Amino acid sequence: MTRFLVRRAIWILITLWLVYTFSFFLMLSVPGGPMSSERSYPPEIEKMRRDRFHLNDPWPVQYWHYLSNACYGDFLASQVLNDYEVSEIISEGFPVSATLGILAMALALVLGLSAGIISALWRNSLLDVMFRSLATIGIAVPNFVLAGIAILIFVFQLKWFPAAGWGKPIDMVLPAICLAAPFAAYISRLTRTGMLDVLGQDYIRTAYAKGLMSSTVVLKHAVRGALLPVVSYLGPAVAGILTGSLVIERIFFLPGLGTHFIEAVTQRDYTTSLGIVMVSTALVLVMNTLVDVSYQLLDPRIKLK
Amino acid sequence: MKFPLRYLLPLALLGLTAIALATVLQFSDLPPADFTFANGTEVKSVDPKMVTGVPEGRVIEALFEGLYQRLPDPADPTTMITAPGQATSYELSDDKLTYTFHIREDSVWTNGEPVTAHDWVFSWQRFLHPQLPSEYAYQLWYVKNAEKYSLSKVEVGDRVEIEMADRSGPKMSPAIDGNSEQHYPRGTIRSGILQEINVVTVGEDENAKTGKYFVVNVQPTKDGEIDWDADGETQTFVKLSEENVVLKKILKDVPDVQQVNFLTVHWDEVGIKATDDHTLVVTLANPTPYFLDLVAFYPMHPVNRTCIETYGYPRWTKPENIVSNGPFTLEFRRIRDRIRLRKNPKYWDAENVKLNIIDALAVQSDTTMLNMYMNGQIDWETSIPIPALEKLQERDAARDEGSLPDLRISPMLTTYFYRVNTTRPPLDNPSVRRALNLAIDKEEIVKYITRAGQVPADSLVPTGLPGYAGGHTGQYDPKEARRLLAEAGFPDGKGFPKIQILYNTHEAHKDIASVIQQQLKKNLQIDVELRNLEWSVYLASQKNLEFDLSRAAWTADYPDPNTFLDMFVTDGENNQTGWSNAEYDQLIHDAQSEPDPAKRLEMLSEAEQILMDEAPILPIYYYVSMNIVRPYVKNFYPNLQDLHPLHILEIDEAEKQRIFAAEGLR
Repeated sequence: MTRFLVRRAIWILITLWLVYTFSFFLMLSVPGGPMSSERSYPPEIEKMRRDRFHLNDPWPVQYWHYLSNACYGDFLASQVLNDYEVSEIISEGFPVSATLGILAMALALVLGLSAGIISALWRNSLLDVMFRSLATIGIAVPNFVLAGIAILIFVFQLKWFPAAGWGKPIDMVLPAICLAAPFAAYISRLTRTGMLDVLGQDYIRTAYAKGLMSSTVVLKHAVRGALLPVVSYLGPAVAGILTGSLVIERIFFLPGLGTHFIEAVTQRDYTTSLGIVMVSTALVLVMNTLVDVSYQLLDPRIKLK
Repeated sequence: MKFPLRYLLPLALLGLTAIALATVLQFSDLPPADFTFANGTEVKSVDPKMVTGVPEGRVIEALFEGLYQRLPDPADPTTMITAPGQATSYELSDDKLTYTFHIREDSVWTNGEPVTAHDWVFSWQRFLHPQLPSEYAYQLWYVKNAEKYSLSKVEVGDRVEIEMADRSGPKMSPAIDGNSEQHYPRGTIRSGILQEINVVTVGEDENAKTGKYFVVNVQPTKDGEIDWDADGETQTFVKLSEENVVLKKILKDVPDVQQVNFLTVHWDEVGIKATDDHTLVVTLANPTPYFLDLVAFYPMHPVNRTCIETYGYPRWTKPENIVSNGPFTLEFRRIRDRIRLRKNPKYWDAENVKLNIIDALAVQSDTTMLNMYMNGQIDWETSIPIPALEKLQERDAARDEGSLPDLRISPMLTTYFYRVNTTRPPLDNPSVRRALNLAIDKEEIVKYITRAGQVPADSLVPTGLPGYAGGHTGQYDPKEARRLLAEAGFPDGKGFPKIQILYNTHEAHKDIASVIQQQLKKNLQIDVELRNLEWSVYLASQKNLEFDLSRAAWTADYPDPNTFLDMFVTDGENNQTGWSNAEYDQLIHDAQSEPDPAKRLEMLSEAEQILMDEAPILPIYYYVSMNIVRPYVKNFYPNLQDLHPLHILEIDEAEKQRIFAAEGLR
């Protein structure tokens, strides 16, 4: 296990460096820059504005400048939001995205798992058909469409929730639901399949034969076996929730990392976009490692090397 | 008992969820703002010297106040006048060159310091300083020697000042051009008379790098004053900002050369002086009739010296550090969420400021903005999604008579136009450009595409500036257009190469370009391609003249035709058409020093006529400002510059309750 973790850590570092380098040169090769504006300035002022961020230096010099600072965790100042350091932008945006992501994940798990278990236990019942259709819709409908419908119904018809914004607990409800929906749908499908698979196995029959209560059989024996595909889906799901939140954050006007990332990229704020790319990449890599580790915890037959 | 590891995962998830829920519940229940508005993009900075945008302007105008302010005219609120701000009055000398401002005695900064004339001397010096990358610095170049100072342009014989490289920023790195974190607090300053400028070149041909070093007769000081008549001491200086290879060579070749942060014309030579605490004397290079409007423009607002010297940039802009002198203070900023402003009790006119808390939201999406407006979460929205326009108009039409509408649409000083690349044949022929212009039916564009009451344009300068006649292109005339094109050698468009229209990604730009494409095909048999580019790429292409026709727009910085016309002088940074006309340049130049206002406007009209005849640009339409404001907001008046000072706004609470009740909102 320790060897596995050390090797993983080295790979994560190499991957981060590659992602950094690739994003850096990709970004600089796109025309335009953080200083582009409709208004042009006298060359002297233009030079000074660019000098401030080393933009007049050749690429390798800039790359070295940014990379060497990034190694110390300093992503320098934002090139567009002049009053802020990139670290300030990330530390303000991350809690918003993380809160939204965790709530959506929890919601997706609770809804998905319960719907999946119910569907499997009452297979082919009306409830099963209903959950399955809902899941199909949930997967098929992109979350911005869902958000639109949710706003129409819950904001303008029922007037239950605010249209957008960030500041009160109630502000999180609609975005978390919209973000969670497709994942809940997918998880319910995975759970249902997993459960059906497990319920037909010998050890479940044995458990029933021993005279255990069916709730004990289901929750203690069956669910654990059915959980494995769901857990392996968690890695991609976290990545999905991170990228999915770009759209949701924008629609619901949440000042999360997704919003900052979109803005930084469109405004060519090199330092900020690089900083956010790094944080997100690190997060996805770490999440994947955690998922791999959890396999072993759930199923002792799996050994990590 | 051994803890089963398999419980770890669900427990971790449970823990995280608990933390997330706690975070959500812990959201500080902010007191609601009295007035909330959608400000568009997040402001780049609240430092008045570092920004140029409209959203920035709204926030900075609330935080800082200049000598004068632009307010609605009490007699006719739809026109703006310059009213006293931090200055109570001014006198203008007979030659219209010297302004003497009298600064009010009862004004204090939020840190308790009195606001004095010296604050402007400091602020404007910082603004013009060669090492502050301030984008709007050129707006102060009307002041005598300001441009020279700002760009470090020096000639032999000039009185100069030199900053030694003994200053360091908060991170203790040496301050070289633009890289200084402090920008302004200065190192040791030496003053002297420039005796020689020596140019040094390293390398050959294209790779050659040149730099300069300066020989200065440094003057001693006597009783704290510079003794300009003394003999002085000859010293040599080189700027740290020179190219590395050049700097090395100079350091090697010239003995005793000293490295310095900057060397520029002496500040004493610049026409900005505080004669006492409450008198500011500004001397201009030329009579500038719109100077008072410039003085009321946010980049000219003063900043507090103590605050800047204590914290440096950007730390001085943090809510906990910032010192300001305007009607509001900065309570907090949440990045890309909101800026909260609170009434400044120390503001000289605080009793007339009615709003206590204002939230400026950085909402980008027009649809989200409208959702929030309709849901009663914001009171003023600065742009409208065009698809919703008709519904909103219907909604207003259904209102009771006498009540204010939500939609406030009114003309403004912005023009939508196409740049023509005059360096590419056949567009280098003025007849061809005129033909293109006359073949575009602008009426059709405003009627079917923009649809909010925009006005078809036949000039660059929008209508509405008093006393200005302007130049004109003439009305839509396909027949004349065909004649001009035939005259240029392309009868019925034969032999005319395919041209491209460049525009940035936006539905409206695309629709307008398609209409123009069809009209040019129909009227002139010219084939046109559309080329859509993302914003930054589009700007780069336009700057590098990589286009045939390119969409553009220009908004007045101050209410005067010059703000539009001076951009098209030869090699002007914002010209971007390759067009050049000596007579035009001369007229713009002469108008700048013309003391008679009527004559000056006549000269500008004449210049605009040249621009319209030569047609390096094709005017399309004049913008309208599109605001949507809740009718309970008092003192909100549409005007040509789309300026809406926050400190005069007021909420009619009874009306608000009534409207919210009627719409079922909380």
